[in-house]
Amino acid sequence: MKVEIIELGDRAAKFVLSGVAPAFVNSIRRAMLAEVPTLAIDYVNIYDNTSVLFDEQLALRLGLIPLITDLDSYVLPSECSCGGEGCSQCQVSLTLSAEGPKTVYSTELVSADPSVMPAEVVPLIKLSERHRISLEAIARLGTGHDHAKWQAGIACGYKNVPKITISDECDACGMCVDACPRGVLVIADDVVKVVDERACSLCRLCEGVCELNKIYDVIKVGTHPDSFIVTAETDGSIPIRELITRSAENISDRAEALDGYLSVIDMEMEMDHHAT
Amino acid sequence: MGYRCVRCKQPVEIDYEYRGIRCPYCGHRILLKERPVKIKRVCAE
Repeated sequence: MKVEIIELGDRAAKFVLSGVAPAFVNSIRRAMLAEVPTLAIDYVNIYDNTSVLFDEQLALRLGLIPLITDLDSYVLPSECSCGGEGCSQCQVSLTLSAEGPKTVYSTELVSADPSVMPAEVVPLIKLSERHRISLEAIARLGTGHDHAKWQAGIACGYKNVPKITISDECDACGMCVDACPRGVLVIADDVVKVVDERACSLCRLCEGVCELNKIYDVIKVGTHPDSFIVTAETDGSIPIRELITRSAENISDRAEALDGYLSVIDMEMEMDHHAT
Repeated sequence: MGYRCVRCKQPVEIDYEYRGIRCPYCGHRILLKERPVKIKRVCAE
């Protein structure tokens, strides 16, 4: 397996994975979406709400706020020593108190743990004259399996690395260059050349407009079957580098667990065989 | 369950024997349900 990083920022990354099966890339994508835990508001204790939003709507909006998460400081409630009842190891409290007229933003949430704070400035509610909200929100770790609010990875996807071949029969008429929406093809020195193969969206418009393509395979858009361009983005709760490494660790852990189960089954089958 | 008249802002107790809702002070027929004074726990989903 070979990894080539194309772009790497705080919240988004693009890289090429070569020498792997599509199933492996898909498992990375699925792990990024649903297996990496993150903090999100799980329930809200509402003391007062005289705003125009129902308590449930307000709680839903609070739940979808991405919270900056230090995954080494918190554990999943199911794995906590408190048994999921709620302690400083598995949950954090955030309070919000505001009175109108004003627009309340997510940054006005006051956290009991200063390292846990909203990752984005999200408008929560618009308060008018005499409108007031006062609440305590409890954030817990969870995974995207349970609810989309715990989904750290967003816009995670992959595509095969495109492979464009242009044969010598090409007369450089320029039809394919005009048809390409991504500007992948150019004419240089009376020859059609590929300038940025990875930008190709595999739309095959170039193949369709080429008159010579009806006789010969002049221009052919294909893919490398074992190379993939992976794009991933986080909601800001954890850095993209951590999201990718943790998703890979998750796959490794699950593969090891599966290996353990299979070895137990093997042992049982061998014991049955010897018994008979 | 407490209600408050929208027009005169007086607290109103509903008489369920009487077939109709009306403020006993001003006769207005629109009453708002008062929010109970207790902490309400709501699931964020």
